[in-house]
Amino acid sequence: MAALSLSASAGEALVLGLATGPVCLATCGPVVVPWMLVQPQGVRGHSRQLFLFLAARLAGYLVFACAVWLVGSAIPHALPHALPHASTGRSWLMGGIQLLLAAALVVYAAGWPHRRCAAAKTAGALVQIGETSFPKRSGALALGFLTGINLCPPFLVAGVRAAQLAHLSAALLFFVCFFAGTAIWFFPFLSLGFLKRTPEVVTVARMVALLLACWYGFSGISILIERTFHG
Amino acid sequence: MASRSSVLARPPAFRGIGRSILLTLPMALWSLLMFMPSFQHAGRDRHISALLVILFMTTLFFLMMRTGETYRWRRIFFVAMGFLFPFGFIAALVAERGTMSIPISRMVSGDTPFCFMVTPSLLLPAAFARTIIFPGSILPTASNPHSIAAMIGVWFAMTLILGKAWCSYACFFGGIEEGFAAFPKRRRLHRFITRFGAYLRLIPWAILVFVVLVSAAIFEPVYCMWLCPFKAVTEFPAVRNVETAIQMGIFVALFAGLVVVLPLLTKKRTQCGFFCPFGAFQSLFNKINLFEIRFNREKCVDCTLCQTSCPTMALSKESIREGKTLLNCMKCGACVDVCKKDAAVWHLKGTAVAVKPERARLLFLYGAWALATMMGGSILANSVATMVHWLPWK
Amino acid sequence: MRSRILPILAYTGAGLMLLVTVCVPFVLFQVFTNGVAHAGLHIDAVYSGGTVARTIQRDGYRILVYQPVQPRLLERIEPFVQIVFEPADALPAHVSDEIDLDGDGHPDVRVSFNLSADPNAPLRGDVTALNATYISLTNVGGESFSRMFVRTGNKIVVRVPMKKDAVSR
Repeated sequence: MAALSLSASAGEALVLGLATGPVCLATCGPVVVPWMLVQPQGVRGHSRQLFLFLAARLAGYLVFACAVWLVGSAIPHALPHALPHASTGRSWLMGGIQLLLAAALVVYAAGWPHRRCAAAKTAGALVQIGETSFPKRSGALALGFLTGINLCPPFLVAGVRAAQLAHLSAALLFFVCFFAGTAIWFFPFLSLGFLKRTPEVVTVARMVALLLACWYGFSGISILIERTFHG
Repeated sequence: MASRSSVLARPPAFRGIGRSILLTLPMALWSLLMFMPSFQHAGRDRHISALLVILFMTTLFFLMMRTGETYRWRRIFFVAMGFLFPFGFIAALVAERGTMSIPISRMVSGDTPFCFMVTPSLLLPAAFARTIIFPGSILPTASNPHSIAAMIGVWFAMTLILGKAWCSYACFFGGIEEGFAAFPKRRRLHRFITRFGAYLRLIPWAILVFVVLVSAAIFEPVYCMWLCPFKAVTEFPAVRNVETAIQMGIFVALFAGLVVVLPLLTKKRTQCGFFCPFGAFQSLFNKINLFEIRFNREKCVDCTLCQTSCPTMALSKESIREGKTLLNCMKCGACVDVCKKDAAVWHLKGTAVAVKPERARLLFLYGAWALATMMGGSILANSVATMVHWLPWK
Repeated sequence: MRSRILPILAYTGAGLMLLVTVCVPFVLFQVFTNGVAHAGLHIDAVYSGGTVARTIQRDGYRILVYQPVQPRLLERIEPFVQIVFEPADALPAHVSDEIDLDGDGHPDVRVSFNLSADPNAPLRGDVTALNATYISLTNVGGESFSRMFVRTGNKIVVRVPMKKDAVSR
């Protein structure tokens, strides 16, 4: 009976993840596309980077799963009712996460630190046209974790559901299945590995990442200002 | 940008008057055909404006045939369209609602006229969610003839034929900065442009990818809401809060900087070449377009006059060495007209380079000028009709 | 062989392009327009208000209640419900209506506004929330896509914001 209940929850989580995958794609796409284009060409390398990204994303999911299950077990039946009032806290968190995402995009996409002789830098240039420079640390873990804890509504629905499960292991399994459903939608990004990494492509990708950093920064600050003044 | 002295240094007559008239006749007939409805139905203002535009377009085409040059005659049309389009558009807005700002009621009722520049932002939401993230109407209505379907239809048809030459023959904004770029005698900031041009011409691509991704993420036309300089001379969401005030500030700043000041300083189309994501999007269609500009390496002496004259930095030393332009070439003809060695030539893909380039030029120009007459000519006619309507001595 | 075929193809292609050019204003423009129109696309509900859920008949006019519009994850609007009063010229000078928005038989909001005889006069109105799901509005005109009282043609469009919940589109 317990096994049946567990498998039913797992199935529900998988379906929820599959159904909300396009939302994940649309929201993580702006982060993943320029970040992947800054990596060296090659499907194998991209597979490794995507694996790290998704692994970090899963880690974020599991951290959240633990948190909601602990809250749910401490205050039973309260979480679904508390959810409408959690929007304030969620906004603060989302604002903070977006600012961190902006900072991460600036650091990793701008290529600091990068494996290129410092003397070869031209003043004010992001990357030399004529040579291709890739970041030393790919940013997969940081970007994956930050997108993983981005509190989207399907994520919260999964959280409420997981909090109602009897055991922590069941909640973790629920989120693993939810993650699996969403992760399937990320595999098309591997096709970016085929794109030739000319210096122009890498430069454009870095510019996109900086523009996105500005966007996330503006969005995060707007959310925080709104929460500060409007509560 | 071709300087006046280098353009005037070429022989004035390339083709005899008789042959030039013969070659112009199809275009004259086409112009008459395009404006026939104006003569059949509309009032005297429309008759006068149609006649003026027919004469204008036909004369320019005749001069293209007579002189063998493209750039300066095309520029006259393009600058006229660039300045007259906002004039006619704003006049219509003021007459209808007394303001250039779009009230939210019009956005909700689907009466916002569609602008082609938002097209790249629409693609992903339309493909994945069948949703158009633009406050217009899909089909034409009495209050909004510039519906989404109609404008996308005309854009697609014209892009198939023109490719990135859209930016030289169809875009009703590019002429504004081309006009400002033509005023000064000397270019300033030349060293800055030369040194950083390789990065600057990648910015439109970055903005294109950014706009496409973020528009898909937040289901808002990001370019229209935040980055379009031409909102300053057409219409813009009414300023009703801090956010819309910031947006308006950005529009005005971008217009003043990219469309007025920088073209005056650099003699380049800085908004088109260094910012416009729609231009980057149109560049993709150069891949499938039949016409291009090529360089005859046997005649080229690497004087880089072509590179200096190009309004959008579509030429680099490497590309000229390879005998071709970069992907963002808008086929304006500046480099061809300025080349003293006739090394820069019009080319039809699949044929030998520099063998009968005039034939390639004619084949291209007939298509491009026909479409320019169809769309740009009607824009000119509308604006001229408005001016004629306001004449005090009528 | 290739060097002979390619130019033929090239000139054929160029000729076809000219033919296409001639066809644009007469045939192709309509073909592409119809193609886009029949592609099954719709205007985003943030602008269009969504789809009509139910119609309430009143004396001389009717009220259209739309499906709630929920924002997507990063969309920067509040969830809202659109209500349309039409035809505007059949409405009384003062309108005050209690409307059931969710179809449960109980009124959820009271919408009140005064209608000027001049259709171009700015419109402002109030919404009193009778249900905790909805947010009251006071003296609102065209504030935002989720909070508005506007006149469009012969219709009065009202948008009532809702409190955010966990479900998105």
